Amino acid sequence: MTHATSAARWLMRRALFAVLVVAGVTTLTFVLIHLAPGDPIYLLAGDGGNASYYDSMRAKYGLDRTIAEQFVRYVRAVLSGDFGYSFMYQQPVIGVVLEHLPATMLLGGTSLLFSVILGFGAAVLCAIWRSRWLDAAVRGVSSVAYSAPVYWTGQVFILIAAVKLGVLPSGGMSTARESLEGIAYVVDLLWHVLLPAFTLSLPLAAVIVRVSRASMMETLGEPHVRAAVARGLGRSRLILRHVAWNASIPVVALVGQHAGQLLAGAALTEALFGWPGVGHLVLHAGAHRDYPLVTAAFIFISASVVFFNVVTDAATSWLDPRIRLT
Amino acid sequence: MTLPGGRVAWVVLLAAVGGAACARKPAAPSATTLVVAVGSDPGALNPAVTTSGSTHPITDQIFNGLVGLDEQLQPIPELAERWTVEDGGRAYRFALRPGVTWHDGVPFTSADVKFTFEQALLKYHSRTRAALEGLLDTVETPDDLTAVFRLKRPYGPLLQRLDVVEASIIPKHQYEGHDLLHGEPARKPVGTGPFRFVSYATADRIVLERNPTYFRQGLPGIDRLVFRILPNAASAVAALESGDVDYTVSVPGPDIPRLQRTPGIAVVKSAGGSGGSACQDVLIPNLTRRPFSDLRVRRAIAHAIDRDFIVERVYFGQGQPATGPISRLIPWAYTPDVRQYPHDPAQARKLLDEAGLKPDATGQRVAITFTHGANQQRLGQALREQLKAVGITLNLEMLDFNAAVERVFVKKTFDLGLASFCNGADPEIGVRRVYVSSNIGPYPFSNGASYRNATIDALFDAAAARVEKDQRRETYVEIQRILAEEVPYFWLIDSETLRAHRQTFTGFRLWTGAFAETVRPVSASTPSKQ
Repeated sequence: MTHATSAARWLMRRALFAVLVVAGVTTLTFVLIHLAPGDPIYLLAGDGGNASYYDSMRAKYGLDRTIAEQFVRYVRAVLSGDFGYSFMYQQPVIGVVLEHLPATMLLGGTSLLFSVILGFGAAVLCAIWRSRWLDAAVRGVSSVAYSAPVYWTGQVFILIAAVKLGVLPSGGMSTARESLEGIAYVVDLLWHVLLPAFTLSLPLAAVIVRVSRASMMETLGEPHVRAAVARGLGRSRLILRHVAWNASIPVVALVGQHAGQLLAGAALTEALFGWPGVGHLVLHAGAHRDYPLVTAAFIFISASVVFFNVVTDAATSWLDPRIRLT
Repeated sequence: MTLPGGRVAWVVLLAAVGGAACARKPAAPSATTLVVAVGSDPGALNPAVTTSGSTHPITDQIFNGLVGLDEQLQPIPELAERWTVEDGGRAYRFALRPGVTWHDGVPFTSADVKFTFEQALLKYHSRTRAALEGLLDTVETPDDLTAVFRLKRPYGPLLQRLDVVEASIIPKHQYEGHDLLHGEPARKPVGTGPFRFVSYATADRIVLERNPTYFRQGLPGIDRLVFRILPNAASAVAALESGDVDYTVSVPGPDIPRLQRTPGIAVVKSAGGSGGSACQDVLIPNLTRRPFSDLRVRRAIAHAIDRDFIVERVYFGQGQPATGPISRLIPWAYTPDVRQYPHDPAQARKLLDEAGLKPDATGQRVAITFTHGANQQRLGQALREQLKAVGITLNLEMLDFNAAVERVFVKKTFDLGLASFCNGADPEIGVRRVYVSSNIGPYPFSNGASYRNATIDALFDAAAARVEKDQRRETYVEIQRILAEEVPYFWLIDSETLRAHRQTFTGFRLWTGAFAETVRPVSASTPSKQ
């Protein structure tokens, strides 16, 4: 069997699996959100109405039908490409979700970049310097960074950087004082992404530093590296050329797994910083019991997790030929 | 030693930070943009089909009511220039303000008023529909600038229901032919108000700008009004402190003392606003269950609760201890001259003894469950301690807010619940619904205790049918006396929400939904008089 056909088969199998996962998540989300206590009608329409009013509103939104009936209608609509109409935004769900993707991707991408720079950079420094103090410091900081909830670290960073020092904005994606365009807008955007991206990057950076440091240490003990040392190769060059490359494989796998989860996992950070991403949107939609929006968002999130997993597997296999796509 | 990899990384990082820092705009805020932090995303922006506390803070700056409310919550001219009450309270004739135009330039006429009431408010606005459905007969429009409301019976509190919060007037020409709940116009609202709509980025911000042709000369006092959606209250406070935000509509209790000490920030009390005015936090006993069906037990619990402590320590002073069923923030209707229940554990124990709830060997008389939302944890703990002192065990059941509302009001499977009942500008709006037996039903913020008293039902009807304020006051005083005797609910606090703003701005109208109309920057040349 040629390599190409085996890769195609692998892709087919993964695609089928992906469809099953997304279908499962859709069903589960639909059932869970409909069973969750709290009636969207009261949140949509407000309080102080009488029974006939609430009944008429329920009928208007199709919420007077049984869950099974609503589910069948929903699945039919989704299969024909209609993800429904958002209760709270009063527009097609798909547009609302897509509108928030760029913000999430910017925050997620920047934070992944920070994770890799911080985590891998620290691991390389540890390997080069081999200082016990540096090692201990990196280990200590990474433990805190990994275990502290972003909700808490983010607030601390806001208090320090925005309130006390006043050097970074406290939140949002752009300044609310004026409408900027062109270069000024881009600069303002980067300025606003720094703090939330840094906050969001810490847990993954902590994992990366642990994993890559361990694999670098392991590689340093291997015969080809010892041979290189014996040939008189300088330590920094050695690490960057021979050791770091090998250590990057598990990092790619980690980053890939995380990339998929960022769509949903950034919700708390987005809410904390008022960042207009998909997670923040889902938070409001959930609070308003906007069933169509929440369900559609979860379909997107699960699809992106599956997608990034496939991409990750393909990428690690390309980096390390020993890993086969089966 | 050379560190190529690490160095590159650090250079990139430093360049990013440094570049951004250098390019940052000067910190001095443009004085004519007011940035407001709000906690939840409004969704659609049609104020005539919802009472939502997320939608109204925004739309109340874009739209107008027929009347406004002054600081004593008395009606003042707005879209209606003047009015007369005719036919013994069965008809209200409004002379509309001439020369008012919608933000798109179309003139405002009585047809808009008729359309708003008949097609929007009476169909979809929960409070206005519940109140006017069987009452409002027709809205007549004899000419473009006259609207006559004909009622089926005399109704005194009509004017108080016609402000921007309860009855925003929307443009007929924009909405006609649209489904009012699924309409494009709700995303690009066109009003008559002080600010006109510019843009709405969902889950991010809403931008409004000054309406240059606003009918009140010289208003508004700012050029731009930006709402930022910050669901995390602590982040909103941080944004206020750092100067990214100028005004925040709610302040978390624990942050109050710090903000009060922060120079440049004013913490102000507000009795009302878009979310409701003259609110009261009230404990709801399930009167269909023991032990609350026994009046002596209710009086005992009323004596066991230390309201002063709760106001100070649970609500961080955001209000005053309640003395009865009407908030003191409706002064013309309120009376403190009713049966009072001062904190008195000995009296409480005596009443419980009389009710036959004797303590067992461990001192416990009865156990009840308090169903509450996640943000009422402190209240639950305080009540548990206070009731323990008289031998009542309070189990705490904490639920998501919506789930708690559902359990108490819809499913009614609870012992003791809690709600914030906003009284509104008139007891008819927000007090009546809590006590009349016709409002016992499976929907939120109804008569959750299931209290039935035919005398009270009749008195509320009588108070609504009267037009003269003095007569209405007499009736409400009687209602308060009877309810205080019967304690069908436990009134905890007449709420006054704390809001905070940077002192670079002044003129906030804190009692009404349209808070921003009179806001103006404080500049060196025009010192604040406040």
